[in-house]
Amino acid sequence: MKKNDILLIGIIIVISLAALLFINILGKSDNITAVVIQNNKVIERIDLSTVKEPRTITVSGDYHNIIKVEKDRIRFEKSDCPEQICVHTGWLTKYGDIAVCMPNKTIIDIEK
Amino acid sequence: MSTKRLALIAMLVAQATILHYLEGLLPNPIPIPGVKLGLANIITLLALVLFDFKTALNIVALRTILGSLLNGTLFGVGFFLSFSGAMAATCMMILLLRVFPVLSVIGVSIAGAIAHSIGQLLMAALIINQPGIFYYLPFMLLFSIPSGIITGLLLKGLLKYIQKTGGGGQLSGE
Repeated sequence: MKKNDILLIGIIIVISLAALLFINILGKSDNITAVVIQNNKVIERIDLSTVKEPRTITVSGDYHNIIKVEKDRIRFEKSDCPEQICVHTGWLTKYGDIAVCMPNKTIIDIEK
Repeated sequence: MSTKRLALIAMLVAQATILHYLEGLLPNPIPIPGVKLGLANIITLLALVLFDFKTALNIVALRTILGSLLNGTLFGVGFFLSFSGAMAATCMMILLLRVFPVLSVIGVSIAGAIAHSIGQLLMAALIINQPGIFYYLPFMLLFSIPSGIITGLLLKGLLKYIQKTGGGGQLSGE
């Protein structure tokens, strides 16, 4: 490994940690709104702070996503897409969090 | 084109395809789309070292097409993601090998992993029309360090072996 390699690694670490810190500071918010989007169309906009009873939303397309909505959090609970990346993303709890099911073109985005 | 060169290119395509396919079978270590080791990148970088840019680009294109054909994602979303990522990585690595040769193989490999992430995210943002997906970039950047180091070290071993057996000299002398 050359000196430049170490420099490159250092720069990457600094940039990504700064970005993560920025995201976390920016993400601090009491009221978050989740937006469920498929094929660039908003399917539902949910103010997560007002959710009383947990419920699910089913989004169908090439595949089917089952989205679980609870107070202050939302996630892909089940999906029949091949890679399950959306499900593994887990709960979205703060501004900036995003979960995407590329095969079904479904996005859950968190707004302030 | 010599027969030896043709055979070697075909072999690199086959090896890259298998690595691409095998990697798809591995469970995703982190729940972030596109985070993976990038084993097929070893072959991309090897092709860039042994051959010219165009040949390497052909090998990469063939590998993504054949690899996707094997794991059933051809012309699906996953295919476009890995295709754009692999192309971006190839361009980045040729720049760092030939135009600005300031990094070792390991550094080039890390930079390739970063370009792969960015290329992939750009394509994903285009497909779903949602730039917010760049939220994943810091995680992907961090992960590009270990994955770049691992693939870089593997390639270093491979290059040492090729030099020892004398295969590289004959090829690059063409």
